[in-house]
Parts: sequence; structure tokens; C-alpha cells
Amino acid sequence: MLNTAGLSLDQAPPIRVPFAFFLAAPFFVLLAGVLLLWQGEAVLLTRWSPSALALTHLIALGFLTQVMLGALFQMLPVLIGARVPGATWIASLVQGCLILGTLALVAGLQWGGTVRLSLGAGALALGLTLFMGAAGVALARGRGAPRTLQAMRLALFGLLMTLLLGVLLVAGLLGVPIGGLTAWVDLHLGWALLGWVGMLILGVGYQVVPMFHVTPAYPAWLARSAAWLILSGLLIATAFTLMGWSGAAVWGFGPAVGVLAVFAVVTLDRQRRRVRPRIDVTLLHWWSAMLSALLAALVWLFGGRPELIGVLVLIGVGLGLPSGMLFKIMPFLSWFHLQHRQVAARRFDVRLPHMQAFIPERSARVQFGLHLGALSALTSAAIWPDKTWSAGLMALGALMLMGAAALLSRLQFDCYGRYLEIGRRL
Amino acid sequence: MSPETGETFQLDVRRLEPPEPLERILDTLADMPRDARLRVVHRREPFPLYDLLRRLGYQWHTEGADEYFEILIRS
Repeated sequence: MLNTAGLSLDQAPPIRVPFAFFLAAPFFVLLAGVLLLWQGEAVLLTRWSPSALALTHLIALGFLTQVMLGALFQMLPVLIGARVPGATWIASLVQGCLILGTLALVAGLQWGGTVRLSLGAGALALGLTLFMGAAGVALARGRGAPRTLQAMRLALFGLLMTLLLGVLLVAGLLGVPIGGLTAWVDLHLGWALLGWVGMLILGVGYQVVPMFHVTPAYPAWLARSAAWLILSGLLIATAFTLMGWSGAAVWGFGPAVGVLAVFAVVTLDRQRRRVRPRIDVTLLHWWSAMLSALLAALVWLFGGRPELIGVLVLIGVGLGLPSGMLFKIMPFLSWFHLQHRQVAARRFDVRLPHMQAFIPERSARVQFGLHLGALSALTSAAIWPDKTWSAGLMALGALMLMGAAALLSRLQFDCYGRYLEIGRRL
Repeated sequence: MSPETGETFQLDVRRLEPPEPLERILDTLADMPRDARLRVVHRREPFPLYDLLRRLGYQWHTEGADEYFEILIRS
């Protein structure tokens, strides 16, 4: 049988669809930096401060979810051969809702206000539901890479649970009586970090780690069981919380954290066994993110400060890993779309640059250095929040965070500019 | 043109980083005679390749699973 049903780029979204998400994301990190400079002490003293909640959502929704959604719109066809239906207009609508919802929710968490909080929750609910519908159709049709498909389907369920719990919490903030609010916050966090982000990292990691760094595949025992173990853990934690035994929910979170820690160790081992010993900036970001995840798991295991876990997970993993992936994905998509245009136009006289030419490795490494500096400074400030020097360290961390975001943004726009420039010749 | 008449070229791209497999495949196709076939050994199913092959007028057949795929391409 001859296969003619492959991916058609005519039906895949134009490059501006994922790029719109990628280009918008660093601006939320700049906002997060401003918030840290302004409210730094409150953020790291307690995770319950309005500023800590606002900062968490600026990074988790504004940066992390933004990049992940943009990448999924484009990468689902590449990774699993499944197209997102109506991607172009749905993506714009989803992104509009995500940006509006994030800004409104963050303002509502920081300053309160029924309108801000309702608008935030409403816009996010609309945008994320639209996304889940569209991606759900693609994932239902997908046929390649069964383990990735499975993890991505479960990740989508994790996003749904995160959203439902988030809406419930906003209702609580608006005065609807909800018993044991802190237990529901923990559950919301658990589904967000383990069920949505963690599960998606599993699914994407199974593909991109062996692919981009030419490593051995993940072991079958891990890929077969990891996503289901995380899901089971989270369902157990949810059941305990529903029954009012919030103290027992940890028995559900524990296995999920453990599975992701194993995933991090296996990832580092796969990368150590890569075919080419070359180290690139994406690999550096992966290493720093996996080590951050392992440290966060250890801090959690020994009952350390939640604010420290927050810094390690949000900055170390949530900011670092997508940044590292963007340094691969954006040049890859630029090159890939140009390659298609060249074939379509039969303009073989135009020489396409190498993928590496779209984002210079040296500048990307400077960005990684700034990120690592910010991560180190903020981690130290979160370990010792009440020392005399911690405010200064926090300010330094915030400035480096903004520097890393500004440079990331600059490199992204340069990449897109290069794409447009070559595209005009085709 | 019967696929049995021409020579079969072999290309193993399992140890290459993206987008090198795609580049090598397109380069090899461009260089080989029209009646030849190309057998590519790949570690993943190369979905992005298919549309390019279709546009360039090639036909292909993919077999394999997990870490080993063989793609037979002919015009």
C-alpha cells in the first residue's frame, strides 16, 4: 500500500500561528520581573501573598502555557501526524483569551476585584476549553507515537482538572463558601504541575530527547507506566481531598512526584548516552531543568519551604525548559517552512541557511547564563528569605530574569526576521 | 516506470539530528536516477517528509514500529 495521507503543510497552521504564542511569552516574564522588583519580599516570604499568586500565574499561564499551546498547535502534526482542525482561527482566539485572561486574573490576584477575577477566570475557561476541544480532536485522530499520544491525552485531562479547580478557587475568592480552601489550592497546584506540565514534558520528552540529541529511546517500562501512575496518584489525591482527608492527599502526590523524578534521572542518563558528545544550549537548559525538578522533589520530600519548590519548579523548569526548546523549535520551524516553500515554488536556486543560523548558539548561551544566574539568585533568596542580603539577591535575580527574557525575545524576533527575509526571496 | 528495473539506494539516517535526515533524503533523491528507488532507515516515522515527497511527485511506503522504520521511496 502506498502511503499518500501524510502531513500536508497546506493544512497545517502558518508559521505565524505558533510564533505569535512564542513571541508573546517573554513579555509575561518581563512583567513577572517587574512584580518581583516591586513586591519581592512578599513573594518569597509566603506563597499565600497576593504577589506570589500573581507571579505564579504570570509564569505558569503567561509564559509556560503560552509556549506549550503554541508548540502543540504546530508540533502535533510533526510528532504524531495529527492536525489540529481550524488551527489558524482557533489559535488566534485561544491566544486572545489566554492573554486577556492571564492579565485579568493576575491583576485580580494582586489587587482583588470581582470584575478582574471573573473576567480572568471566564476568558481562561473559554480559551483553554477551545484549545482542549481542538487538540482533543487531533489527539483522537493521531496515529503515530502511542506513548506520546497517551501522555498528551492525559496531559489534556490534567489541564481540564487544573482549569476546573482554578475556577472553583476563583469562586472561593469571590465569596462562595468552600471548605478547606488550602487543600483545594494544593490540588489545583498538583494537577497543574504534575498532571498538565509534568505529563506534557513526559509526552514531548519521549519524542524530542531521542530526536534532537540522538539518544537511546526511553525504556519501555517507564513510557508504559509513567503517565498512568501520575494520573492514578492525582486521582487518589483528588478523592482524598473530596472526602475531606486533605492530609492523606500526599499519598497521591507522592507517587506522581516520584515518577517525574525517575523521568528526570532517566532523561539525564539518556542524554549522557547521546551519539554525538556535542553540548548545545538546549541540552544545557534540559540539564538545569531536570536538576531543578529533582531538587524540587527532594525539598518536597523533606518538607522544605514551598516557596523554594515554587522557584525551582516555576523558574528552573517552567521557564528554563521551554526556553531551551524554543532555541530548537523556532529555528527548526523556520527552516522547515522555508523548505516547503522552496519545494512548492521550485526555487532551488535560493540557498536555505542551516537551521543553526536562525538563532546564534553564542547569544543563546548568554541567555542561558542569565537564566542560570536568575535561578541561582532566586533559589538562594527563597532558602534564606529573612537575611539582610536576601532583598538584594532577590532584586539581582529579578533583573537577571528580565535580562534573560529580553534576550530571549530579541533572539526570537531575529529568528522570525530572518525567516521573513529569506521567505521573500522564495 | 516499473520499480523493479532501477537500482535501490540505501540511506541510514538513524544517527543524525533533525533536520539532517530530511536534508540527506532530499539530496539523495535529487542525485539518483529517476528509475532508482531509495530505501531509508529511520528511527522515527518522518511525517514532515511525506508532504515534501508528494509535492515532488514521489511515492512512498513506510513499514516499521518503535525505533526502526523503513521508508521505500520511488518516483
